[in-house]
Amino acid sequence: MKLLPTCRDVTRLVLEGEERPLLLTERWAMRLHWLICDACRNFRQQSAGMRVVMDRWRKYRAED
Amino acid sequence: MTDFPSQVESLRPQLLRFARTQLRNEAWAEDAVSDTLLAALEKPQSFAGLSQLKTWLVGVLKHKLVDQLRRHAREATALTDEDAQDLDDGLFDSSGHWRTPPVDWGDPEAHCNRREFFEVLEACVEHLPSAQGRVFMMREWLELDSAEICKELQITTTNLWVLLHRARLRLRECLQMRWFDGRPAPT
Repeated sequence: MKLLPTCRDVTRLVLEGEERPLLLTERWAMRLHWLICDACRNFRQQSAGMRVVMDRWRKYRAED
Repeated sequence: MTDFPSQVESLRPQLLRFARTQLRNEAWAEDAVSDTLLAALEKPQSFAGLSQLKTWLVGVLKHKLVDQLRRHAREATALTDEDAQDLDDGLFDSSGHWRTPPVDWGDPEAHCNRREFFEVLEACVEHLPSAQGRVFMMREWLELDSAEICKELQITTTNLWVLLHRARLRLRECLQMRWFDGRPAPT
């Protein structure tokens, strides 16, 4: 992983992070990027939000 | 109190709806639901009300859905043109920057209190290309992990990750367009 990944790289990592534990170097690269990029911070927030949404959706479907 | 067979039968439409969103194939969905209802009728049990019966039937259905996916694995993972389309080139410019930067969605809980939100979410999931929709539902609704999905569908981890990556980006785009755009910014 490059030390200075692009938004495209960081997006892929955020999504892969749902499927596998990320490496320490990958996590550092993401954190450095978030320091300077509002858009990717928002994307991270949206992804975290989607985990909450999916959980609520499963419950909604179970009770509907 | 109606009899057990008619109670079971009354839940068929809802089971069929769940089966369709997971399988994206009418014949497979009918088979999974019939298997489920048959299993229930062969082993009548007593439940405290319809909602408990439904919970039990949905649990049985989930297993039958995995059976169908395993049986039709090759067809279930065949990529449509839409599945194969790489979204990244549309989302990022040549230097890897967002073309349209993601915005603040605010508190997810606030949206989850609205029934309409889930209706939009379900519509967006139904709009996913079929292979993406199937693996996304296996991951998020059947709650299988990557390894289990790969085993049932006989696909590689890399293939699965690509499909989930595209599915999640598509879903995000759809929610942005159909729910978050045109709503006041969070305070």
